[in-house]
Amino acid sequence: MRLIIRDDTEAASFYVANYIIERIKHFNPTPTHPFVLGLPTGSSPLGVYRILVEKYKAGEISFENVVTFNMDEYIGIPRDHPQSYHTFMWQHFFSHVNIHPRNVHILNGNAPNLEAECVEYEAKIKSSGGVDLFLAGIGEDGHIAFNEPGSSLASRTRVKTLAYDTVLANSRFFNNDLDQVPKMALTVGVQTVLEAREVVVIVLGARKSLALQKCIEQGVNHMWTLSSLQLHPHPMIVCDEDATLELQVKTVKYFKSIELVARAQGFEQILPSKVRTGPSKPVPVQTILVNGDHERYVNGIESPTILAPQPTTSRLLSAATPAAEYPIRSRSVSPDIELVPDRMASRITDSAVFRGRLTPGPEAQTNGFARVNIVGA
Amino acid sequence: MGSTTPTHDGITKLTNCRLLRGNALVWGDVWVCSTTGKILRSQATFYDDLILPDKTIDLGGRIVSPGFVECQLNGAFGFNFSTVLEDMSQYRKRVSDLNKMLVQTGVTSYVPTVTSQTSELYKKVLPFLGTSGQRRAAEDGAESLGAHVEGPFLNPGKNGVHNVSVLRQAESFKDLEDMYGVSNINPDATEGSIPIKMITAAPELGHMMELIPKLRSRGIVCSIGHSEATYEEASVAVAAGATMITHLFNAMRPLHHRNPGIFGVLGIAERLPRPFFGVIADGIHLHPTTVKIAWNAHPDGFILVTDAMHMAGLPDGTYPWTNGEAQQFITKKGAVLLLEGSETIAGSSSILIDCVNNFLQWSGATIPQALKAVTSTPAAMLDLKGVKGNLEAGADADLVILSDNYTEDGLAGLVVEEVWKFGIKVFENCAA
Repeated sequence: MRLIIRDDTEAASFYVANYIIERIKHFNPTPTHPFVLGLPTGSSPLGVYRILVEKYKAGEISFENVVTFNMDEYIGIPRDHPQSYHTFMWQHFFSHVNIHPRNVHILNGNAPNLEAECVEYEAKIKSSGGVDLFLAGIGEDGHIAFNEPGSSLASRTRVKTLAYDTVLANSRFFNNDLDQVPKMALTVGVQTVLEAREVVVIVLGARKSLALQKCIEQGVNHMWTLSSLQLHPHPMIVCDEDATLELQVKTVKYFKSIELVARAQGFEQILPSKVRTGPSKPVPVQTILVNGDHERYVNGIESPTILAPQPTTSRLLSAATPAAEYPIRSRSVSPDIELVPDRMASRITDSAVFRGRLTPGPEAQTNGFARVNIVGA
Repeated sequence: MGSTTPTHDGITKLTNCRLLRGNALVWGDVWVCSTTGKILRSQATFYDDLILPDKTIDLGGRIVSPGFVECQLNGAFGFNFSTVLEDMSQYRKRVSDLNKMLVQTGVTSYVPTVTSQTSELYKKVLPFLGTSGQRRAAEDGAESLGAHVEGPFLNPGKNGVHNVSVLRQAESFKDLEDMYGVSNINPDATEGSIPIKMITAAPELGHMMELIPKLRSRGIVCSIGHSEATYEEASVAVAAGATMITHLFNAMRPLHHRNPGIFGVLGIAERLPRPFFGVIADGIHLHPTTVKIAWNAHPDGFILVTDAMHMAGLPDGTYPWTNGEAQQFITKKGAVLLLEGSETIAGSSSILIDCVNNFLQWSGATIPQALKAVTSTPAAMLDLKGVKGNLEAGADADLVILSDNYTEDGLAGLVVEEVWKFGIKVFENCAA
């Protein structure tokens, strides 16, 4: 887990927007090899969209070869309703950039057969090669997309009934009239998000601080669906200071320190490795080609390498999912410097407290998996 | 879902601009289509038709207003609508020339106005003044929305410069038919729309009160003007269906505190819908304060008009003018037009954007409030809500791009930078 803490909303949004731009540029997308971006709605990503639009207008980024998949959409309100997520995306992003409508995917909440719509949506994600980066926000109850508390962590795109809290919270957009608020939505599942090659979550404001605490300092729990991110090989949470209010000081300090250390070593915490780059990037010597034009690392070829903790996702997810496509290692942009992640546990003298932690240290890697699997079951 | 072919001709996206929406200028984009000549529902075009604009134009923060709608224009650029030419085919050409010039001033549609004239003249000219936008051709310039006959059923006591000898009283609908020509006033007598869109009459004379509903039923706007009507008479006329007042204050009784006259119907008294009203803000017809009072009395009915004569756009001098049966002359000195040898104001020679700028300067109104008086309000008065005078999807893509210039004293005025007609740019201010 990468946790990036910035002073305020603007700085956090800026970080995320820049990160996305860097990822797209590094990927070097083409019409036949587009960058697949998962997108959220809501108040959290507003700043990110605004900055992306500014950067587009300044000529710093093009969305010509970017394919998008949105997380969710209400059921039962007209597509062009002012509160629909189609409208949100149009107003805040699509209308301002050069993304082609053919590359835009949003669930159709008015589809005659909603179930078929969901199945088709998953199929579209797969046929586009899987999501390269899923951007997300969270609700106060820690929901990711419309995966409300209690959603299965193995869920896929489906019809979801909204939690009463969410309906209440949304009523402010519908003249405070509960009857007008949609009670159901289509949403990608937790599993759908986890299958993305990378997940970036923006968490802003004190109201989200409890959810952030649950997702970072507590265990994987279907009542806080964002906590499932702990199972992902490449998650990143970007938050502002307010959102850290419920975190322990040592948690905040830890994550700030590893970012500082990394930077001092000359690299940022961007996803450096071969998580996925465009085909036009020079192929590193130590890769072999598997399955046509897909590059794959073959574990162990590169050495010497310090192996980072092996995430449980590789066990939980089927090997065919994009997220598990690449053996995971923490590797810096600079080929010579390897990041050795610091661990909270190593700072605590009484390590017995952490005996049950999900992510084992490198030394405990092998025998740690058995325990972890129980949690994910 | 829509077709998969990306070719959809002539979609232009105007961006980085402030759009006139209600009482606000809102940052946003507007998509126009030159094929349909309409403003597009951009979101639906994107999601349904999977179409991107052919062209995106950055307006650099300028204001996008709907094209101006002028409700009282007697002529311009040397051509007077109340003119009979020996070869009437030339008349069509003169109107068409005028349209191309007029559109450059920001007026994308208008109501050509014919003053009090003989029946013969009406019958000859009206067929040339009906709605002209059917072709939806941008190159045609400004579009007629139908003719405005200002007379001759006017009160001789408030004739203004109209020739008293041609003024009449209408006793029956037949009198109107006889005056204007049966086919010019009856929808069932012609194919399509009738030439007359609007009639200015003095409701207190003859049986005009009873004729108002008959005109309304034909889709003709009835306007009170050149009238001695009392407040009570004006109220009855409004109740009968009059929805407009022609150049408020001019050629009518002034406001008296015990008989507020026609102006009085702008109060909410009698529980009547309040009519629209035209105001000539050229700096000559009305005192600035009078204009401001009228606007404050009923902002939603306030329409800026020029009442411009054919001398608009011409140098100073004396110009001939057909006035009923008489041939008279009008002297133009600066913006002032006077009947030769008198102190009677004979229309104006201003253009609509000047009136907007005057109004902005005098009233303290905001830019959107001022633009409303030449866009959505006149469109509503002419029953063209949703077609003209607004930037909503589905409306005609008639646009005026304005720059707002400021000095230390505040707004220096709006300048017409570009004019678009039916989704195509037809004018660009090269001086800018």
